[in-house]
Formats: sequence, C-alpha cells, structure tokens
Amino acid sequence: MGQCLRYQIHWEDLEEYQALTFLTRNEILCIHDTFLKLCPPGKYYKEATLTTDQVSSLPALRANPFRDRICKVFSHNDVFSFEDVLGMASVFSEQACPSLKIEYAFRIYDFNENGFIDEEDLQRIVLRLLNSDDVSEDLLTDLTSHVLNESDLDNDNMLSFSEFEHAMNKAPDFMNSFRIHFWGC
Amino acid sequence: MASVLDVPETPEDQGREPSPYDESEMHQSFHLLIQEQSQGAAEEGLELQPQAPGAGAAGASAGNQQALLGPEGATAHSMATLRILASMPSRTIGRSRGAIISQYYSRTVRLRRRASRPQLRGLGRSARPSLRLYDLELDSTALAEEEKRVLLVKELQGLPVAQRDHVLRGMPLSLAEKRCLREEMRSPSRRPRGRPGLLGCCSRLRYACALASHDLGLGLLSGLQALVPWHYALKRIGGQFGSSVLSYFLFLKTLLAFNALLLLPLLAFLVGVQTAFPPAPQGPVPTFTGLELLTGGGRFTDTVMYYGYYSNATLNQPCADPPDGGQCTPEAASLPYNMPLAYLFTIGAAFFITCFTLVYSMSHSFGESYRVGSALGAHAITVFCSWDHKVTQKRASRLQCDNIRTQLKELLAEWQLRRGHRSACGRLRRAAVLALVWLLCLGITLGCTVAVYTFSEHMIESPVPADREGALLALPLVVCLLNLGAPYLYRGLAALERHDSPVLEVYVAVCRNLILKMVTLGILCYHWLGRRVAALQDQCWENFVGQELYRLMVLDFIFTLLDTLCGELVWRLISERRLGWGKPEFDIARNVLELIYGQTLTWLGVLFSPLLPAVQIIKLLLLFYVKKASLLANCQAPRRPWLASHMRTVFISLLCFPCFLGAAIFLCYAVWQVKPSSLCGPFRSLDSMYEAGKVWVRRLERAGPQVSWLPWVHRYLVENTFPVYLLSALLLAVIYLNIQVVKGQRKVIRLLKEQISNEGEDKIFLINKLHSVYERKERSGAGRTQEGAAPPARPADHRAA
Repeated sequence: MGQCLRYQIHWEDLEEYQALTFLTRNEILCIHDTFLKLCPPGKYYKEATLTTDQVSSLPALRANPFRDRICKVFSHNDVFSFEDVLGMASVFSEQACPSLKIEYAFRIYDFNENGFIDEEDLQRIVLRLLNSDDVSEDLLTDLTSHVLNESDLDNDNMLSFSEFEHAMNKAPDFMNSFRIHFWGC
Repeated sequence: MASVLDVPETPEDQGREPSPYDESEMHQSFHLLIQEQSQGAAEEGLELQPQAPGAGAAGASAGNQQALLGPEGATAHSMATLRILASMPSRTIGRSRGAIISQYYSRTVRLRRRASRPQLRGLGRSARPSLRLYDLELDSTALAEEEKRVLLVKELQGLPVAQRDHVLRGMPLSLAEKRCLREEMRSPSRRPRGRPGLLGCCSRLRYACALASHDLGLGLLSGLQALVPWHYALKRIGGQFGSSVLSYFLFLKTLLAFNALLLLPLLAFLVGVQTAFPPAPQGPVPTFTGLELLTGGGRFTDTVMYYGYYSNATLNQPCADPPDGGQCTPEAASLPYNMPLAYLFTIGAAFFITCFTLVYSMSHSFGESYRVGSALGAHAITVFCSWDHKVTQKRASRLQCDNIRTQLKELLAEWQLRRGHRSACGRLRRAAVLALVWLLCLGITLGCTVAVYTFSEHMIESPVPADREGALLALPLVVCLLNLGAPYLYRGLAALERHDSPVLEVYVAVCRNLILKMVTLGILCYHWLGRRVAALQDQCWENFVGQELYRLMVLDFIFTLLDTLCGELVWRLISERRLGWGKPEFDIARNVLELIYGQTLTWLGVLFSPLLPAVQIIKLLLLFYVKKASLLANCQAPRRPWLASHMRTVFISLLCFPCFLGAAIFLCYAVWQVKPSSLCGPFRSLDSMYEAGKVWVRRLERAGPQVSWLPWVHRYLVENTFPVYLLSALLLAVIYLNIQVVKGQRKVIRLLKEQISNEGEDKIFLINKLHSVYERKERSGAGRTQEGAAPPARPADHRAA
C-alpha cells in the first residue's frame, strides 16, 4: 500500500513532463498515483522501478494480447521506471502524433526484432489477434500472403518500416485503435 | 595483388554486366564491407550458437547457402545481410531528420553506457540503426555520432521554444534521454533546478507561491475533468463495446452541439425579445391539460413556442413615430426592434451557420478518413488495425477475438469470390434476385407513401373539431408505425439477396431506410405547404404546421423508447432464456438513422416553432441515458465490420446531404413562395415572408445615399439571376479541377509503385550476385588456407555472407 507520499512530484518536474510528452498534467498525476500504489513503499518515485509483470497486470494492459511486446519495447533492462511508464502512456495517448505511434507500432509488431516485419512476425500477430493456437495453416498462409501482396512494395517478402508506414498512413483507423487509457481516474 | 575474377556468364546477365575491370573494383569495395560485417557477425554467431537460435537464424543461414535467383524464390537473408539492408539509405528515407539524428544519438548513449564487452543477454539481433549495438572498438563511426548529437542539440536550440518541444515530443526516444537533451539545450549560465538556497529573493517568493498553489491547482484540475460531460460514460462504453458503438454516442453528442448552436441565436434574438414585449392576449387562455405535452396545442398554442405569437410590428418604438397596428409604450424608448426582420434574418443566419458548420465538419472528417488510392478492405489494415487497444475487459477482449476471426474469414472469402469466376447463368440469377428485392423494397416504400398520402387527405377532408385534439395524433401515429414496421420488412427481404461483402449489406439497408424516411417526409411537406395552407386559410396555418412537427417529434421519441424496450430488453430476455442465443446486437445503423430523422424534423420545424431545438435537446439528453442503460444491460457489440473512421464521415454526410438540404429547400420554399396567414405571426400583412426583407431594402433606398450600397447589392446580386449562374459555374470548375488532380495523383502513385518493385528486384539481384561472388572467394580462400595454418573453428552452417 502506498506509504509513499501523495504527489511527491515537483511542480517543475510536472511542467517538464507535460512539455516532453503528449499527456496533460492531470493524466501525468493519475499515472503518478497508480505508480506510487504499485511501487514498494518508502521509495522516492524517481528511483522506484516496476517489473514487467506488474505493468502487464495494469487494468489497461491486462486484456491486451500484445502486452508482452509492449512491455518489452518500452522497458529498459526489463524494468519500468516512472519515466518509462510516462513514455509508454504518451505514445498511446490520444494526442500523440501519427509518426510516433507508427514507429512504436512497428517495434511492437516486430517480434523477432530484425528490423523487418516478415512472414513469421505476421503469423505471430495473427495468432495473437485470434488468441488461440488452433488456427488452420491455410488461413495463416493465405492471410500473410495477402498482406504482403498488398503492402510489400519491393517484393522482398518482408515489410520494412517505410512500407509499414505507408500502409498505416492509408488506414485512418490506425490512429483510433492504437490508443490506451492508462490512467484510472 | 590484382585478382581476376572468373565470373561465368548467366543468361540474365547478357548485356548488363560492366567490363571485368570495373566489376572487380565494385566487388572489391562491397567485398570489404561484407567482410567487415561478417567478421563481427561471425563472432556473434559463434556466441549465439548455444543460445538456441530458433527457426530464424538457422533457417536463414541454411537457406542462404543456395544462391536464390529471381524474386519469386523465398529470399531468406542472413543476419548480416539484414543488417546491411536495414542500414541502406532508402530505409531511412521518409523519416524526419530529427529522427535519424536521434537514432544515432541513442546509439551513442548505449555506447557510452557500456563499460566493457557487451553481455550476451544485452546483444540484440536487431538490424535497425536505433537498436543496433556496436562494440566500441569495431565501430569507427562513434565520433561521427557524437558530432551528430551535438548537431542535434544545436539544431534544436535554433528552433523557437514551442517548436522545440514539439520536435522533442515526437522523437521516438525514451523520456530520460529527452530530458537530457532538454537540459543541454538550456544555456549554461542558468542555474540547475532544485536548489532553492541559491535562488534570489524574488525567485524564492515565486517558488513559494508556486508550491502553495500547487495543491490547489492539482485539486482543481481533477475537479475540472469531472465536469467534461459524459467523459467517464463514454470511456466505459468504448472500453466495453469498442469504437463502432462509441461512434453512435459521439454522433449524439455532435447533434447536441448542433442544436445548441441553432438554439442560441433564436433564444437571444427572438424568444427573449418577444417574451420581454408580450403582445395582447388574443382570447381566453385555455387550461393546461396533460395532452398538450403530446399534441403541442391547447395551452401551448398562444405562447412564444409558435410562430403565431410573434408580433409583426417594430417593438419598443418611440410614440412619435406611430407604428401600424402595434402598441405604443409611453416610456422613453431605447432601441426599436423590427420583429419581422429579426425573425427572417435570425432564422436565415442560424441556418447559414448550421450549414457552414456541417459542411466544414463533413469535409474535415472526409479528409481524415479517405485517402487517394486506398483500397477498400485492404488486408494489411485489418491485421494491424483491427485490434482496438482501448478495450480493457477480458470478456470484451474475447468478443473482439471472435469478431476479428469472423472478419478475417469474411475478407478471405470475399477475396476468393472476387478471384473466382462465376458463370454467366449465376451472375444473371444474382442480378435478377437483386432487381427483384429492390423492386419489392421500392414497392413497400411506395405503399407506405400512398398510405400516408391518403390518410393525410382524409384528415383534411374530415377536419378535427377543436375539442378532440387527441385525434390530431392520428397522422403522426401512422407515420411512426410505418417507420417502425417497414425496416423489419426490409431486413426480411434482404435475407433473400446475398451480397459479397457484409459492409455492402449494411450500406444498402441504410440506403433503403433513408429513402423511406425522406419520401415520407416529402409527402408530409407537400401536405403541409400545399394542402393545409389552402385548407386553413382563415386560421393560423403556421401554428398548425409547427404543432404537427412537434407531435411528430414527440411520438418519434416515444416509439424509440418503445423500440428500445421491446427490441432490446424483451428480446434479450426471450433470446437468453428461451432461445439461448445470447444478447442481441446493438444495431448501429438503425439507431443512427433515427437520430438523423429526428434532427431533420427539427430543421423542418424551426421556422414555425423557434423553440423546437430546445425540445430536441431535451429529447437527445433523455435518449443518451436511456440508450446507455439499455446498451450496458441488454446488448453486445455488433459483429459486422464497421470501420469507425468511415462511420463518422458517413453519418455526417447523410446528415448534410439528404436531410439538411431537404430542410433548407423546404425553408426556402416556405419563405419565398407561400403566402403567410393574415391572422397571426410577424408576416401577416405581407405577400411572402421574404417581402419583409424587400420592404426594408426599399426603405433603406429612400433613407438616403449613405446606405445606397446595400440596395445596390440587393438588386444586382440577390435578385438578379446572373450571379447564381456565375457561382455555379465556378463551383463546377473547382470540382472538375479537384477530380483531375486526384486522377493525376493516382497515376503517379501507380508509377511510383512500379518503380519501387523494380528497385526491389534490382536489390535482390545484386545481393545474390554478391553472395555468389563471395562464396566463390571463400571457397578458393579456404582451399588456400587449408594448406597453411590451422583454420579457426567455424561451424559448418555458419553461413556465407
């Protein structure tokens, strides 16, 4: 339980966070609250860290099939500092610019982290979306071949960042769906 | 030592190869590059081996043994090749310069942090510049990165503060690194934060004040959030049901805003003024019975709610200038207020503002949701965008998975159908079924129209006596019943035709329902302006029309409530207990059409009943809470794939084009062509409502030369038909220009796509060539070194770069 002080955050720090992220001051404070509730008691918020499991069990991420990838991309050395959590919330906020969201979406969807979204990544994405391992091979191969047919412009059977960005810019729904409300207030 | 490379000529090389001398030079430089990369990667590969490389590395390394030619072969590249590919300049084209520099910067940060040899765990297999980890000794470009970071800081310092923050916000860096950058950008003379002892007196005072208002401000901020209307309710709905159901409620909120915008000028310039100067009462005031809330007549007739109450004279006029037919107040007059003119201009201005806002929001959402050259139902979009990250509940999440599965299957089926050939007989049969269903639907519409027409004629022929006002509810009741029943018939008929895509089905259903509603309203408008005016010559027909529209609105609301009750609550009880089907779906299309229909009624009636937008606002508020409660209790998210961004565009376009346009045409006809009744209202002595404006312009003409430009404008621009033709021609020209521009853009996109695919083929060709050349070199080199010193232990499957 939060034996840490309420609102340990300084006004100037709040201003700086608000200037550097896409979050409003109120949202930063709500995240600060949630962070303090989860961090070990008695620690200063700037030094406290959360594990990946703790962040994955946040209500906003609990039901998300990509939560392990999200935690991997935004954490440093598998722990979250307060600023890491803020960075994550900023990317997923409503006011974030499209280029930032597309950049992080690419990193999240690149499961094997080779800099490209290849067929293996696509298949894993589809499996996560359907949330079951019981998917027919035909469906998977059909889907991946269709996706690559439409978005792979230089025919190398992988999606580079530019191709991904091009496809996402054509999809106005991407901005709508790539949003998470982290603050519980 | 010059080595002559013996490159055998392959068929596709005819005519494209340079001379051997050039080729050897080219190979030499690439060779060095690849060797350098492969050495580093070789060591990594040695160390990564015990780490269970998995399918990726082993498959890639095995696959790269063969030199795959041609783009249709599955090109599996090794890690080193992937790294080279990812660092090619084309990979970074299109990113902002700041992003490129910042990538180098983050690499620098990792370099600096690492004190010794990198740990195996920390070594990523990634190839992107921002995630690549280089060892300090191997990387000769470390210095350049430091310079680049300094460049970055300098560049950011040169920007204005707001833009600097904007650039920093958009950089894909962690927050800690951004803070460091920001620190560096501040001038060195400035003191660091957090040391109040060094601050001067004023700064300390300022600091103390800031701290004191700190808690107050934070408390206020969190309080303000609660004031934003329906903030939590909408978040909850979005989290539980997804974006498509949320768009219905957002549309409801938009309609509330439109009505408020419409109501404000009316309240300020008409209702308020007329309430301050009430006219003499016409007769005994009837008592209030409950029926007025339904019929709008009785007690409400002679109030500020209807057209007939408004005076046709100049209010607040000084007695020195006796007005015609108005009252003369003895006190000192302030500003005279010409009521007929105010009525005409306020209604006109309110409509103009609404039109402008509608067109602006329609073009804005159209610009956001449609792109040139974007295909309908592109698969990449479905795979990457179909997961709505806003959904937070496990049950809703599972529902989303099911929805996505259905969606993907439907898309694949659609794709196969598009590909598959259908016989001419099948196509003919499908066309015949489609035509038949459309004929039947149009027949139903015609039937409903004829029913409404005959009933309205019957109402005219047998007029309702004054004491049986309840019978006036008959016509609105018939209209509402038809509006309720016909969509179910349409849905039944639509089961006969089978469309390729479910999205098309929904659009067709929306289309049919809309046609029915618009045609019914058209018949009613003819009934009011054509027949009622003639039938009610000696009474106040405008009041009657206003009351009819009020009745329609109220009954429509009651039927919507009934529909929610029966369609959702009762159906859920039946389907869960008896049929075991689960909760019914929230039918977005039908609900949105009901909202649009209600708004059309408001716009039609605003001329005859200035308080109708207030009634609509109350109705929308109640509807929000009822629909929200019913949704949360009884419904589940729809299974049809609705793209949320397209939906907003479709809703607003439907609101603008058939509905607002129809209401505007109705208004123009009523203002220009219909003779107002001579007993009541602000235009009782005129031939048409528009004449009030004309009379005023004539008076201005006589007033003097100072305002002569206004009559001139009126005569030559408004009454003359030439400017209308000119404006239409200009509009057509602009539309044509835009169409041509879009066509040209499509062509350019197609050409560029071809170019990119050609470049891709070139790249694969070059890679394969390099691989084959290097392989040969390695083999010949390995043969030579085998005679010499013991070769370093290299695993056999450690691929040739």
